[in-house]
Amino acid sequence: MSKSLLCPCEDVTSSEVEHAISKGFCDIESVKRFTGFGTGMCQGKQCLNAVARLLEEKSPKKPTPAQLMPFTPRPPLFPTEYGYWASASFDPERAPSGGVPAGIELGPDSLRPAGPVKSKAKIVIIGGGIMGLALAWNLTEQGETDVVVIEKGYLCAGASGRNGGGIRAQWGTPTLISLAQRSIELMKRFARDMSINVWFRQGGYLFLAKSDEVVKKIERGAALHNQHGVPTQIITADAAREIVPQLTMKGVRAAAWNPKDAVIFPWPFMWGYAQQAQKRGVQVETFTDVKGFELSSGKITKVITDRGEIACETVVLAAGAWSPEIAKLAGVHLPNEPHRHEICSSEPLKPFLGPLVSVLDSGLYFSQSMRGEIVGGMGDPREGAALNLGSTSRFLTRYSQALTEQLPQTGRVKILRQWSGPYDVTPDNSPILGKTPKLENLLQMSGFVGHGFMMAPAVAERMAKWMATGESDELFERFTLSRFAEGRMEREDMIIG
Amino acid sequence: MPRISPVETTVTIELDGDQLQAREGEPVACAILANDQLIFSRSAKYHRPRGPFCMTGACAHCLMRVDGIPNVATCRVPVKAGMRLERQNALPDARIDLLRANDFVFRDWFNHHEFMAGWPIAEHVLLKIARQLSGLGVLPEKAAEHRQPAIIEEHELVVVGAGAAGLAAVRQLTTRGVPHVLFERDPHVGGRLTSGAEKGQPAPWNAPARVGAEVVGLFADDGKPFLAVVEQERLHLVFYQRLLLTVGGHAMLPTFPNNDLPGVMAGRAVSTLIRRHGVLPGKRVACVGELDEARSLAELVKGAGGEAIAIGAEVVRAHGLRSVNAVTVKPNEKLGCDIIATCGPPSPAFELARCAGAEVVWNPSSRCFEVVADNRGQTANPALFVAGEMRGPMSSSAAAEQGLAAADALAGAAR
Repeated sequence: MSKSLLCPCEDVTSSEVEHAISKGFCDIESVKRFTGFGTGMCQGKQCLNAVARLLEEKSPKKPTPAQLMPFTPRPPLFPTEYGYWASASFDPERAPSGGVPAGIELGPDSLRPAGPVKSKAKIVIIGGGIMGLALAWNLTEQGETDVVVIEKGYLCAGASGRNGGGIRAQWGTPTLISLAQRSIELMKRFARDMSINVWFRQGGYLFLAKSDEVVKKIERGAALHNQHGVPTQIITADAAREIVPQLTMKGVRAAAWNPKDAVIFPWPFMWGYAQQAQKRGVQVETFTDVKGFELSSGKITKVITDRGEIACETVVLAAGAWSPEIAKLAGVHLPNEPHRHEICSSEPLKPFLGPLVSVLDSGLYFSQSMRGEIVGGMGDPREGAALNLGSTSRFLTRYSQALTEQLPQTGRVKILRQWSGPYDVTPDNSPILGKTPKLENLLQMSGFVGHGFMMAPAVAERMAKWMATGESDELFERFTLSRFAEGRMEREDMIIG
Repeated sequence: MPRISPVETTVTIELDGDQLQAREGEPVACAILANDQLIFSRSAKYHRPRGPFCMTGACAHCLMRVDGIPNVATCRVPVKAGMRLERQNALPDARIDLLRANDFVFRDWFNHHEFMAGWPIAEHVLLKIARQLSGLGVLPEKAAEHRQPAIIEEHELVVVGAGAAGLAAVRQLTTRGVPHVLFERDPHVGGRLTSGAEKGQPAPWNAPARVGAEVVGLFADDGKPFLAVVEQERLHLVFYQRLLLTVGGHAMLPTFPNNDLPGVMAGRAVSTLIRRHGVLPGKRVACVGELDEARSLAELVKGAGGEAIAIGAEVVRAHGLRSVNAVTVKPNEKLGCDIIATCGPPSPAFELARCAGAEVVWNPSSRCFEVVADNRGQTANPALFVAGEMRGPMSSSAAAEQGLAAADALAGAAR
């Protein structure tokens, strides 16, 4: 057929971009995510200008020049083989710092909508990531629709739009195991509930263990999983190679295998929750920033944004790694720290990799997306606390060395793009949920380290019920902010990435 | 035969089992075009046929499997005797691909968000099919050998891009005795001066440069900026004190129905093929778009023994099922042709500059994103200078003037 292509790499036509504009996606980053333009082999070189021109012509609100901004350029400039990055070296003892591009703005002022936010709402949720949006939708399920969600950037701007999309039940505590199991159930039927595809694929999770200590950890984990109905098995290196024949299993002594774990495509979760919540009356305000709070007798009475004030009864803080900054505006100290986690994606390959594979000793993880890219990362134990979203060459080198060790055929596969997102790290790796001491109507919903995305559907379901019915739920008693002052830690040690 | 003059010595390369004659060292894409083959690949979703568009490695139209390595831009790889090339992502074959059915089923576009979303059973089938159809190339069969360790270099001043702006800059830097190093990703210097079609273009001149050295990224680990450069199959990490970027732009794809058909090529791709490689990719070439470039290109086409039509016309649509066979131009004239060469300025290549901290803005008159700099080329990052087409559309003479001004500013600051 005679299509007009805007992005030939990903076969995005001009009709498709016009459809996205008609759905209200009017900035380049959002249109990129919704249509997939600029995410292919050329990374926008051929299409970005053409999309900007179309936006200029077709947007209902004609964008000013300042509102047209290219999406963040990231290394590499041209697709470059893992083998090249692996050929560099790095100092494992040194803490990484710096990164490019300099000055990444997730919510530039020029994109702020003109009109004011509504002046009064029962519940204000701060943070339009998966936590906040899932909570908003679940509140509507409980009959609560007088809700405003405030998001500083576009939907998907924060960690919810930057993660690898892995979901697993292989956790180290019964609470997280059961939350993850429920989330997996909810994600499985998300497309049906929300009318949007999320490409849920149950390829399993294969954890590889190199040291004695880690072998013991996965053995303990498997016993716990089995008690809770998760079919994790401890298998030999040879048996793991039957699942992924290309793996060298170099230095690997055993593996934990749960075929029921899965990967999903993260972005449609935000759109699905937001669209369905909006249909029921929830307001989702993007490119809107919280500037402060009005407090009166131990309560928040108003949320002050850069688009006006909202008088409210309850405030939920679900801003992930940005939560401590916002809590500070209400005089509340959160112990969470933001830690950059870098990630990258390869050129699209025909499917060969079923599960998400992770080397628990190093934090390396990788899986193959529904588009065929190898998406993976590896946490840096030296990474300090900072809200840094830059990309480094150190990461490419560490990751490429670790990946090519286990999967040497990728040595001549090319990296297309790297990016990063913040882990929202708490002192015990467990979330902060429930009421805030001395500020009753501020509810916490953050501190999910690197696994908030996969926990969100289940946590939001319980939180909405707890908020709407007032029935007690141990989740909001165990994981309170006050536990840190009380010295009551809830340690979780199955953190990867 | 698309070769403008006969080639004396050729080597044999293999494309999907067919033997082709090629000139050693020319880009693989060029050799394939010279063998009258226009279909190189099939597109990701609709399996539309594709052939070379930009000839600069900035699109995905000419990707093939080359000697067992997937998704290689054949316009960037030199021909070697015995090379094995395979078209990818097609069933059974990229020339007749049954999966093209997608293109007819989804006439306008495919709504991947909502298609079959939540339909019981159907969504599982969709998932299985979508996964099997995903991806372009196949994982290499063999484990890769380790590359030689990366080389670390440090330089006072690095210039990237040996087109008009870069060459003018280094000529001035040399005159003024400022030490520098120039990187160029092509195997030769000149950029547009040796490959473009431009009215009143200055004659090319030479300069010492590290050619075939592709800058693949700009980083600032630990706050110290450096370039990642791939040169002779080895990674170099090139630290610099100051950087002058003169990297030009990327060919823009104009929007019209069938704009992706094999045979639709950037004007500069066609002039590159004629001027650098002696290949005229089709007999009848519609030289459409920006008038000055179109006229100059038409001269090149005629000089190569071809026929130039629709000079400077505005395209309404391209026609053809597997490759271009006609073009409709404004007001409403359908003309038979083999190639549609779309003339016009490229979109500025701002990526490296933005990574280095320069500001990038939308220019409503050129309708392009451009790197912001003062009249000497200095950007928001005082150690970063830019010149030439990455600052917006301009002639190569104007680009050379900007390169000169930037060099003077850099030389002044060096004293």
